[in-house]
Amino acid sequence: MRLLIVEDEARIAELVQGALARAGFAVDSVALCADARAALTVTSYDAAIVDLGLPDGDGLSLLAELRANGNLTPVLVLTARDAVEDRVRGLDTGADDYLVKPFAIEELIARTKALLRRPGGALGVTLKAGNISFDTIERDVSIGDASLVLPRRESAILEHLMRRLGCVVPKPVFEEKLYGLNDEHGSNTIPVHVHHLRRKLLDAGATAEIHTVRGVGYILTESST
Amino acid sequence: MKTVRLRSLQARLALRLAALYVAATAIAVAVLIYQAYETADTLNDRELSLRAADLARYVAVDSTGAVRLELPAELTARYQAADNTDIFAVRRAADAVVAASPPNFGEVAAKWPVGTDDPSYFRLKDFGGEGREYYGLTVVQSSAAGPLSVSVARAADADVLVHSLLREFVLDLGWIIPLLVIATLVVGAVAIRSAFKPVAEVSQMAAAIGPGATSIRLPETNLPSEITPLVSAVNRALDRLEQGFHLQRRFTANAAHELRTPLAIVTAALDVVEGNGEITKIKTDVARMNRLVDQLLRVARLDAVALDVSDAVDLDDVASEIVAAMAPWSLARKKSIALHANTEPVVVKGNRYAIGDALRNLVENAVAHAPPSSEVTVSTSANGTVSVADRGPGIAAEQRKHIFERFWRGTGKEGSGAGLGLAIVIEIMKAHQGSISIDDNPGGGIIFTLRFGHLISQQKKKSPAGAAGPSE
Repeated sequence: MRLLIVEDEARIAELVQGALARAGFAVDSVALCADARAALTVTSYDAAIVDLGLPDGDGLSLLAELRANGNLTPVLVLTARDAVEDRVRGLDTGADDYLVKPFAIEELIARTKALLRRPGGALGVTLKAGNISFDTIERDVSIGDASLVLPRRESAILEHLMRRLGCVVPKPVFEEKLYGLNDEHGSNTIPVHVHHLRRKLLDAGATAEIHTVRGVGYILTESST
Repeated sequence: MKTVRLRSLQARLALRLAALYVAATAIAVAVLIYQAYETADTLNDRELSLRAADLARYVAVDSTGAVRLELPAELTARYQAADNTDIFAVRRAADAVVAASPPNFGEVAAKWPVGTDDPSYFRLKDFGGEGREYYGLTVVQSSAAGPLSVSVARAADADVLVHSLLREFVLDLGWIIPLLVIATLVVGAVAIRSAFKPVAEVSQMAAAIGPGATSIRLPETNLPSEITPLVSAVNRALDRLEQGFHLQRRFTANAAHELRTPLAIVTAALDVVEGNGEITKIKTDVARMNRLVDQLLRVARLDAVALDVSDAVDLDDVASEIVAAMAPWSLARKKSIALHANTEPVVVKGNRYAIGDALRNLVENAVAHAPPSSEVTVSTSANGTVSVADRGPGIAAEQRKHIFERFWRGTGKEGSGAGLGLAIVIEIMKAHQGSISIDDNPGGGIIFTLRFGHLISQQKKKSPAGAAGPSE
């Protein structure tokens, strides 16, 4: 998997590049908008990490240009805290996620992986969380080496949780994805499905666990080793 | 110290005026009493002369040619009163006593030279049985028996006239004086107080000036002209202080801003170093520094830039977002987190990101203080409040007033906070004209409640039915 870093602060670029390389990515690093534009036209990247404040332009306009040209490469934006409030609406239109500086490298890697786990993303075919692996095409779930058979809705819930590993998936997202508008089963069945799914994962010895965030949704976390 | 220095100008003025007034009154009274004695003496002399003339009038020469004093009964009774207060002696010549009362005064007077037309005054000591002192005069009076030398005296201790005069003075006038003194002092004190009232008001305004309110200036109108130069000097000093504060805030903001990049580099560099115990500690330290720099920047921005609080913000949305964002961090610390949203959306006027910041700070604190496997609860309610409750050790009453101060940290365990979080929360709430309160959580722990001043109608988003109308 190939990533592009657009960052003018040389030390940060170097460190991020090193960390992502250790995480198994091939990484190119550029410091200018112009170079980024050139790189993105030549190479097909799986994701790009873009700093907003660049010497020869604004990362946001680069992003807008990219999207206007039909390039759908997932983009993670890096920004300073005081820019978030002014620009978050702009981010919503073009960026897939954003991270506030200073950030922990682990967070950057986790967020990048989350982008890649999206449907169509580089990691979006076979999802992994702890020892759980989910083949989104065959819809096969396995815990370690053992395969686990799940009903349709439980499997859908697990897929969403795994695509957003480590992040809360709001309950309305499940309602929207699992049921049609006229489906009469309603939202009350989701906690029941989650309950069953949690029990099955536990019984199968999964090293990732579903937590309930009451009032908001559910989150899948890898058990700390 | 023997003398207590009075610091109050009011008290000093009042005390000095009072002393001056009491002294003036005392002098006036003394002069009055002296005058009364003077007058009484003059009157006394006049009375003695009149009595001498009176006595001479009652001297007659009878048919035998003997000179005799024939006093009317009333006068006889008075002169012969047992205590001999009034005494007299009438002589034709030096030793020719016509009449005397008591008779032994005649014997005394007989040794004196005859009087002249001008009264000659005398003082008689140790006279009579009781040894009283007498004061009197000898004068020549013409009478039916020719010129007579009449001596009249009165016991000095029976100075009835002076005493009655003084008594009258004290009774009729004297009691007014202390009243007048008190009344004048009261009027004076009230006058001084009212003259200083504008000064007291200015003092109250000055008391409101603090780092958060440097734009206040004291009014220079309506002040005593002696105070005005002081007040305008203070105002100019405040101008300079405000400039200083601005510089300070800009400096803080710039410093924090500049610190972020090197910190980001250190943070990133540490992440790729293979961990041993020491590195883990340094990572924690750097994380703390990151947080501090971040918060410093936020405080500086809140100080420097007026927050735009004009958006309609759904507290449920913000709370849900913050709970979702904080859940992984909280779960990693083995503490669960939950949201109790109001059934209807709670929409307030404010700044979405600032409210989120405030809430995040409260949740961070709550999770940090909550015991393992307990739950931190965020709740919104229809009256425009959002609260964060934990099951931590709580906050002692005497610490509660300190926890909103910048860089204040509890006395408890060594935390990772810089002590800026709650200061940021309170700044944000001030900008929203809202408030923050701390209450005990029933069953243990603490509840922080953010209360927003401007509640917008709750019927904006979800189901319009059943929602309460705008309150407050």
